[in-house]
Amino acid sequence: MSMKRLFAIMFFFMLVGWAPAVMASSGPTEALKPTLTDIMAILSNPSLAGNEQKLVRRSKIMDIAEQGFDFQEMSKRVLGKTWKKIDSQQREHFVGLFTKLLENVYIGKLEGYSGQEIVYKDERIKGKRAAVSTVVQDQQMLIPVNYIMIEKDASWQVYDINIEGVSLLRNYREQFKSILRKQKFEGLVKVLEEKNTSFDSEGS
Amino acid sequence: MKVSNKSKYVKFFLMTFLLFLSVGCAQKKNDSLVQNQGAGVGQQESRNDEMDILLSDDFYDAEFPSATDYYDPLEPMNRIFFEFNDKVYYWVLSPMNNVYTAVLPVDIRYSIGNFFNNIAAPVRLLNNVLQGKISDAGVVLSRFLINSTLGVYGFGDPALIEFGLEPKLEDFGQTLGYWGLGEGIYFCWPIIGPSSVRDTFGFAGDVATHPMVYFVNDFRVSAGYYGAGRVNLLSLNPDVYEDLKKYALDPYVSMRQVYLDYRRNKVGDSALKQRSDNEL
Repeated sequence: MSMKRLFAIMFFFMLVGWAPAVMASSGPTEALKPTLTDIMAILSNPSLAGNEQKLVRRSKIMDIAEQGFDFQEMSKRVLGKTWKKIDSQQREHFVGLFTKLLENVYIGKLEGYSGQEIVYKDERIKGKRAAVSTVVQDQQMLIPVNYIMIEKDASWQVYDINIEGVSLLRNYREQFKSILRKQKFEGLVKVLEEKNTSFDSEGS
Repeated sequence: MKVSNKSKYVKFFLMTFLLFLSVGCAQKKNDSLVQNQGAGVGQQESRNDEMDILLSDDFYDAEFPSATDYYDPLEPMNRIFFEFNDKVYYWVLSPMNNVYTAVLPVDIRYSIGNFFNNIAAPVRLLNNVLQGKISDAGVVLSRFLINSTLGVYGFGDPALIEFGLEPKLEDFGQTLGYWGLGEGIYFCWPIIGPSSVRDTFGFAGDVATHPMVYFVNDFRVSAGYYGAGRVNLLSLNPDVYEDLKKYALDPYVSMRQVYLDYRRNKVGDSALKQRSDNEL
């Protein structure tokens, strides 16, 4: 039943764990573990639960995420060649917007779940890049999540999440490309800003 | 003859187990949910090479990866159908699903999903054979026999829970890919949704080889069967489409990319992957 699998994939995609790393210069898995653990701890902390704690909770999570995720690298890759055409101020602005989008999408989705267990299954290193495969166990599901990581200054950071071939970054990259073609960089920034605002107004 | 003797034993064995399981099933219901969903994970385990494939993906190697290879010349038409499907979802499918979900508890809906999957077993068997995956074909056959008997007409999945036999999902689209047929242009069909030339032929092949066609040769029945399967599936994964819409800046592009990425991974165009799939 390919539709079932497809639905499942899109679902996995939405509730993917966040996988930051600490400065540990050891392997990618060692870098990934503490960040994931810390984020899960915040999510399952009852004193940080609920809608009224949303801002505090998210800023705590993002502090951890910024260490383990290379949002700059993600932004660069998601923009492709357009990255070379924009100046540093525009880059900074874009990194902020894209980081905010990822926060809205993934933490927003993760907040609906708690008590997940993450199993680290395998890691592969190829030069400065690595893939770490994990399985997230929710109450009713096992979700295979692969983290793609890059090594910079002896520290491993995540720059993509891939679930059964479906890449987070590639997905947004294609969407951005389609918008850039018609509306240029300014148009993309506007669409991103609108998208982020749409999350502010929602109740959850 | 030897054979008939053997089949007597098998029958006895199955009947005994049926009795055991009618008790065991009730207790294992929650496990079955977990394991049903986790089936894909186990599959991944058997192919370690997947990780290497991931890293050899150009997309990850190059600093500025080159343009993605997909071919969507019918995008304007596809977008119209995408919008149409969107309306169908919000006006028809979603309301139907609300009623369906309210009437049937989740355990029953999982069982119904098992039933649909079990009936389609011959399709998977055929496609495993067509791809030369003989041991997987054996697993499909065992699963079908066990689930149709011990699983009470396929509503349960004792093959997975009791025997640890994971589903081997192969469809005709994957077979065509295995044989070397390219995916061709991308389609977004009305009602059916995302597809490609290859997967459209694949879908037609799956429909034609589905046992339903031999039992009831009536389009309305087939369509109703397909629709029921879709609604049941939706009821088990209710947020998927709405989340895609919520998080995407261009939902059409997002869905196309999810579909292509996912199917390419399934077909395993890389030689590395075919090798690991084929171990007997």
